[in-house]
Parts: sequence; C-alpha cells; structure tokens
Amino acid sequence: MRLQLTAALLLIASAAQADDVAELSTTLFAEKRDGGSGRLTVVHPQLLMGVDLGQFTSLDFAYSADIVSGATASIYQVDAVSAATSFSDFRNEGSVGIGFHGRRSRISFNALFGTERDYLSRQIGGTAAIDLPGRNTTVALAYTHGFDEVCNRDNGDSTPLENRALTGDDTCSKSAVVKGKDRPMADGDGSATKWEDLTVDTAAVTLTQNLSPTMNLQIALFGQVQEGFQSNPSRRVRIGPNAPQEHIPDTRARWSVSARINRYLTSLKGAVHFDSRFYNDTWGVTSGNLELAYSQYMGKSLLLKLYGRIYQQSAASFFKDAFYYETESTAGEYFTGDRELSPVRNATLGGKLTVITIGEDKPVLGLFDKLQLNVRGDIMLIDVLAADSVDQNPMGIDKQFIYGNSLIDAIVIQAGLLGNY
Amino acid sequence: MRLALILIVLGGIGCGRQAVRASEKKFLADQVMVFDEDPHESTANDHVRTNREGAAGGNGAGGGGCGCN
Repeated sequence: MRLQLTAALLLIASAAQADDVAELSTTLFAEKRDGGSGRLTVVHPQLLMGVDLGQFTSLDFAYSADIVSGATASIYQVDAVSAATSFSDFRNEGSVGIGFHGRRSRISFNALFGTERDYLSRQIGGTAAIDLPGRNTTVALAYTHGFDEVCNRDNGDSTPLENRALTGDDTCSKSAVVKGKDRPMADGDGSATKWEDLTVDTAAVTLTQNLSPTMNLQIALFGQVQEGFQSNPSRRVRIGPNAPQEHIPDTRARWSVSARINRYLTSLKGAVHFDSRFYNDTWGVTSGNLELAYSQYMGKSLLLKLYGRIYQQSAASFFKDAFYYETESTAGEYFTGDRELSPVRNATLGGKLTVITIGEDKPVLGLFDKLQLNVRGDIMLIDVLAADSVDQNPMGIDKQFIYGNSLIDAIVIQAGLLGNY
Repeated sequence: MRLALILIVLGGIGCGRQAVRASEKKFLADQVMVFDEDPHESTANDHVRTNREGAAGGNGAGGGGCGCN
C-alpha cells in the first residue's frame, strides 16, 4: 500500500513535463530476503505521452504498474525471518494532465488514479511556473490533494492492542473499481472489511537559478500533511504474547528542503551534479541525504552518468526494536514494525548509459527529433540500526526485519526509450 | 520561513537580470544541465526510495528550465 503514497510526489514531478515527449521504460527492483526467503521483486513498467494541442496547450498521459512478488514478514518480532510468508500484488496507476504555456509561464492541472488490492488512490493537482525577468530564474509552485482509501479489517470497537490485521484471505470489495465498498459481515471470503480514509495534501515551491553560463542551482521546499489511516493493515507487531495490527498516529506533517547544483565542465564535455536534502516530520523522523554524480559525453552519441548517494534517518518517536515490544510492551499509545520508521541508513551506487540519436536531416524513425535509449543499474546497501540500547537486547536486531543484512541488499535495473518529437 | 522565501525570490530576481545573457546559455541548455531531464528515471528513483526511507520530497515542483527558448 505504501506504493501509493509515492503518487503525490510523482504527480508533482510529472506536472511540468516537457511537451512533445514520449517515454517507455521498465524498471526491475530486486531486494534480498534473509533466511532463505528468496527476494522481493518489483517490475515497474511506465509509459508517458505528451501531445500538443495547438500552440499553447498540451496533454500528458501516463501509465505505470507494479508487479510485486516475494516474501514479507507476517509479524514484526525478534525472529521475523522464520515467520516470513510469500505474497504478490498488482498495482495500476494512470494520470492525465493538461498544460497551458505562455512565453514565460506555464500552468498545468493533473488527475491521477491508482488501484491495488487494499488501496485506492485518487489525486488532483496543479503546477504553475514562471520565468522571472532576465529569464535566469524560474519559480514553480505545485499542490496536490489526494483522497485515498485503505482496506482494513473491521475490528469494531476493539482497542488497538486487540485489533487484528488484514490477511490475504480477506476480501477488499470495490464499487466500479474506483471506490471502496465495505463488507460488514464475515463470510466464506474472509473477515468483515471496511475502507478507511486517508487524505494527503502536498505543496512544493521550487526556485531554479542560472548562476553562470556553466552552473545552475535549484532549491526546493516541500510540505505534506497526511490525515487518516496510515498503518499497514496487514502488519502485525509482537507485543508480549499477542500480535495485534500495528497502530500509528493518524496525522503526519512533513517537510523538506533540498538544494541541487549542476556544473558543466566545458573542457571535459561533462558535468558534475550535487544534490542534498534535509527532512523532518512530526513523528520524529529526521533525515539527510547527499548525492554526487558525474556525466560524461563520449563522442557525439554516448552519455555515461555515474552516481553515488548516501542516506540516513533517525527513528520515529514510537518505533522500538522488536525485543523491546516483546519484553517491555509499547512505549506509549503507538507501535509499529515499519522499517521506514526505524533508524536506517543506505548507500546507492550506480551508472547510466544513454545512446542519443538526433535526427539532423530527417526524423529518427520518421517521428522523433531526438531519441534516447538508456540502460542503468544501481546497487543498494541498506544498514538497519538499533533503536534501543544494544546492551539490553540479547537477541540483537539482525532478524527483526527480513532484509538488510547482506552486503548488497538490493539492485535496480532500468531500460528505457525517451523520444522528443 | 516566509521571510526566507521572499529573500530567495527577490535574490533570484536580482540574479536573473544579470547572471547569464541569452547568448551564453548554450551549456545550460544541454540535457545534462536540466534537472529531472529523464522523467522516468526520477519517478523510478522516488518509487524505490519512498518505500525504503521515511523521508519524502526534494524533487521540487518542476518547471525549472534555463530560460533558453
């Protein structure tokens, strides 16, 4: 279900696509699981089309899917590895946008819909951008509102410590595909289920500045408020002898500030890229990341990009190691086994090779002014850290998640075609 | 926060008038100098990271060009 929470970001990112662009790509993500549980595999095809409607108007269409299979931890506990189970899911997402372009300004409106077994995402948003006098400064504003629904087991009036989690045997019904439909009675298709609301409001402000003929800068402010059911309905946490559904706050406010710099190196026909971000939210998660990349042209039609990124975050205030929950109970009202809320750090190393074909005399394939074939590969190293005192945890934290104990924990491979016409 | 935003915008206006002339934007127009030039690379990265990290945001609102057109 967390896959859907990225949608607000993707909608903002796609809200200001260049016109006349077509892109088709597929990404494979594979993450190793511990204890002989195989791996998690996500295949993520994407399609984007931008079409001009006259001189000032454009339409964008985008579609993506996630085909997910692999192992997951059924219960967050000291030994989650031995209790891992297999699962699969299929998610579809489509969006449409319309943009209006002036000589120095652009405004666009987007709508997005995504669906998977236990999650429905519906979002609307808009982006406005203007080049300030001198045309070296661009200011862009974006806003999206998401009104999502999460399928949950109907636990009636039970307390959080009594709540039972959604299982794969429970049915999540939908009306006309686009709206959740409660199932008030348990039957042969599983327990009673209901759809919980989650609203996501996201805003971003971006300033892009040309600093010199070979250097530019982008500063971005991001803010988001999530209100509603945010627990993973299927995740359970071992608390003493019981394993209730995880219970996390209904409200989360988050913000980040980021700065990116590009510097073109004329003598090398290459460019250096720097990216940094600071993030904080009301759940107590604070994080920072740095990325350094280098792009190098090799001849007229090859472009190689190499990059490295490091990331580290603190834990949410209510996140505890599994040993703590099992032996001490919760630390307050909330409890979770979400790795995204644990103290964790990761590093990514990767490279991308692009073959660029420019139609100088006639269009490439009879259509494109420029066509690019690209292939990239990343390796990801994930290091889960202890949230509580290691001295008081004889079981350690190596098995509380079913991932993160290998040297290389995940790989990403992406291949795509990007055409401008 | 509001004051910082105003200063950034005003500073940007000042820089924008003098930083780079139109005839000097050849390198700024190169695809390696465009932020989020490949939409699918950006969205795939966000997709992977948002499901492994507690943080979000950072790619801005788009719309950043070099003013080259």
